Amino acid sequence: MTTAAETVAVRTRPSVAARTWAFVRRHTLTVYSLLALTYLMLPIAVVIAFSFNQPATQFNYTWQQFTFDNWTNWDAVPGIRDAVVLSLQIAVLTTVVATVLGTLVALALVRHRFRGRAPTNLLVFLPMATPEIVLGASLLTLFLQMRFATGFTTIFIAHVMFTISYVVVTVKARLVGFDRHLEEAAMDLGANEWTTFRKITLPLIAPAILSAALLCLAISIDDFVITYFNAGSETTFPLFVWGAARVAVPPQVNVVASAIFVLALAAMAANILIQTRRGRQAKGAA
Amino acid sequence: MYLIHRHRWLAPALLLAPGLAWLTVFFLVPLGFLGYQSLQSGSFEEGYTFDWAFSNYWDAISGYKEQLIRSFVYSGIATLAALLISYPLVYWIAFRGGRWKNLLLLFIVAPFFVTYLIRTLAWQNILADQGPVVGFLRDVHLLEADGRLLATTLAVVAGITYNFLPFMALPLYVSLEAIDPRLLEAAKDLYASPTRAFLRVTLPLSAPGIVAGTLLTFIPAAGDFINAQLLGTPNQYMVGNVIQSKFLELIDYPAAAALSFVLMALILVALLAYARVVGTEKLTG
Amino acid sequence: MSHLTRQELLRRAALGSAALTIPGLLSACGGEDEEAAGTTTGPAELADTLRFSNWQLYIDRDPKDKKRSPSLEQFTAQTGVKVEYVEDVNDNATYFGKIQGPLSQGRGIDRDIIVMTDNSRFPGLLVSKQWVEKLDKERIPNITNLIPAQESPPFDPDRSYSLPWLSGITGIATNLKASGGEVVTTMQQLLEDTKLKGKVTLLTEVADTMSPIMLENGDDPSKVTDESWKRAYDRVQKAVDSGQIRRFTGNDYVADLEKGNIAAAVSWSGDVATGLAANKDLRWNLPEQGSDIWTDNMFIPLEGSVPTASEYMNFVFDPKIAAMIAVGAGYISSVKGVKAEAVKLDPESANNPLIFPDDDILSKVVQFDSAALNNQTYIEQWQSLLGA
Repeated sequence: MTTAAETVAVRTRPSVAARTWAFVRRHTLTVYSLLALTYLMLPIAVVIAFSFNQPATQFNYTWQQFTFDNWTNWDAVPGIRDAVVLSLQIAVLTTVVATVLGTLVALALVRHRFRGRAPTNLLVFLPMATPEIVLGASLLTLFLQMRFATGFTTIFIAHVMFTISYVVVTVKARLVGFDRHLEEAAMDLGANEWTTFRKITLPLIAPAILSAALLCLAISIDDFVITYFNAGSETTFPLFVWGAARVAVPPQVNVVASAIFVLALAAMAANILIQTRRGRQAKGAA
Repeated sequence: MYLIHRHRWLAPALLLAPGLAWLTVFFLVPLGFLGYQSLQSGSFEEGYTFDWAFSNYWDAISGYKEQLIRSFVYSGIATLAALLISYPLVYWIAFRGGRWKNLLLLFIVAPFFVTYLIRTLAWQNILADQGPVVGFLRDVHLLEADGRLLATTLAVVAGITYNFLPFMALPLYVSLEAIDPRLLEAAKDLYASPTRAFLRVTLPLSAPGIVAGTLLTFIPAAGDFINAQLLGTPNQYMVGNVIQSKFLELIDYPAAAALSFVLMALILVALLAYARVVGTEKLTG
Repeated sequence: MSHLTRQELLRRAALGSAALTIPGLLSACGGEDEEAAGTTTGPAELADTLRFSNWQLYIDRDPKDKKRSPSLEQFTAQTGVKVEYVEDVNDNATYFGKIQGPLSQGRGIDRDIIVMTDNSRFPGLLVSKQWVEKLDKERIPNITNLIPAQESPPFDPDRSYSLPWLSGITGIATNLKASGGEVVTTMQQLLEDTKLKGKVTLLTEVADTMSPIMLENGDDPSKVTDESWKRAYDRVQKAVDSGQIRRFTGNDYVADLEKGNIAAAVSWSGDVATGLAANKDLRWNLPEQGSDIWTDNMFIPLEGSVPTASEYMNFVFDPKIAAMIAVGAGYISSVKGVKAEAVKLDPESANNPLIFPDDDILSKVVQFDSAALNNQTYIEQWQSLLGA
């Protein structure tokens, strides 16, 4: 037990060593974190930087000189435009379908009690737990057995298949924390179920649906392995990169990648800003 | 609406039907076909026949145990590395981030937005033999004069770690962010040192995040083949490389299918073991 | 086509059937296919677009705008047929794996012409499985320009299904900066010189890698035996296990070579011929004991437009066009009279031994045993070597 005097004595003037140590400890984490963030961004910085490079040969790995050419002539490389367009088409289509299907499943899982809830949960979770290579290979097996031509449709089917799980998980997380009282209040005020859903539920879970949709978009544009198995003679952007990597990756690939990166980042940032503002509004209103 | 009230099961059934149908037809059924194929034998030239060829499984395990072991070792190390690297970073964002939390989180997710292949190719360039990184390491004698980073186990594991880091970091963040800071205050009030507070309060509360992150990292990493192909030599090839080549180049479907199931089975075993330790609810949420 | 006069048509038909009898005389198999080659199935009209899959760096390019190919543009100008030229063949096995799905179900792959190498088992498979259409030789009067050596390949003895695109030789490329100034000229150096450890690549193509090794062992790659296979295989296995070999590559050795990640690569003659110009550190040699020569062949996959593809094949068998392509890509042509035309185009390239090999080089190169390509044991062993 310390007396009051001793306690006061301990509180005054820690030694220089102790203070330095405290300083280091305080800031080590920050320094480490900044280093870690640098490590995370390094390859991206390289990719973006080299999109402005003017390579002397077809190989783009040493810095020659700065140019905007690659950005203005981003489709100068044969096939890149078609690949990007295809990737975008598939991504948008996938996002629409997967988001709808996944949201419905999430609603069912959270709102309703039914037998077979656990197996449903499992079925939804399994694709995320299966290595992509197995997903892609097994789908290809199905298409071959059914003598179904591989191409746009098969890529689309594959993408929806493995993004549904992500949508369910994302929307579910938001639904679980959802306050049912709001819906009950609406129904008490005379709204039927459909109106309640449309005017109360949907707007409130919209951020989660939006996040899920963005996630879908990102995963679909980025997917390589599953698409590799099921694309037939079509080429999406990642497949194009894989082909180009065999010889030389043209700077235009960096351009497209950087563009996708910036757009995705912007979309995410916007999403966050909107949600923060909503949060503040909600807090303000409360 | 009346129908739905009358038959309570109708509402969830209608909601679930399209999504589950898609998953059943395009996930479960293909796996079934894969299983069917794994029990076939024959060759590409002659054609395949179904004849309960369980020997395919034995061949897969014995022929490729090196690659199987390697896959699990590499993804294990990568998962651990991802955990160790991202935990302090995520902790910093969650507890010291303040207003900038979401923005900083964006930095973690950002690599995710550059195509996986391009990220890996970028590392190929950064770690090139004649590049600045290797040059620097040679100068400070961390590498011998002839040493290299590419085409080594280190490069492959580092690649896997980097590529799956966001999968580890995000769940970790979610669980750390959810920790009520008042709990830590309480710990301090009870004379716990920062270290003790961390070990007794923060760490256990972040366990669900660790579990989720580990799973989301380990499982896809075990089946990866791109890092090994772009950053390694055939001595680093993982199960994914074998499956890919057997499926798409050798066109040896039974062997490829059998190997795929072996991989899935091993992952399932690891998953079950893990689940026993941490409890299934945390897994499926 | 519409302005062909009746005389013209008859003349071409006469030429066509004359061309048919020469390979018929030379081929070992009977000539029963002769009449069949004259008929065409499917539409007799030319399609709007020719869809053409080929290897990378394998056609002439406009030096000021690499997106354009003078020879393709000339084809379009002459026939009105647009060309969709896709460079998606990186490696025979991978490409075949990609196309065999639809082809095995009797469906087309959205292509009129594809190109595969004769030192892989795939041309043989394409023909034996009837996954390719017969050429319309009536539209290919220039087939008479085919050099005798190419008239009767084992996978297509009477050239009913294919015609050569370009040929090449396998050799060793060296990056002097990475090899410490030494040029690598033998497979022994490549496989066993510890100074090059971890900086060497081999090709995924069995024939290209095994041929020079077998020749160095004193064996004959054109007649592979189990013993000669084992001898060469063991050497490669040792090199892989010891970490000498960095990886097995398809066309993608070029990037590593250029960047200096590898010191020596088993490689294809034209790639380095086109890459050599820019990079002063690169050298290319035929291995001292020789290596293999191979030919890429054009095929018409199922549901490809036979008239359009045949028309194109006829076009590239004109010595002038053949010269443009051979010189532009840096490979060997199988068309008679190419050298004379090449001299007019670019006098210097006519002396390039990689495009116009002299007898010295030709005496050192052999064609790999095609039977060995189909040997299941060899195939499996090779794949396990590749790490898969």
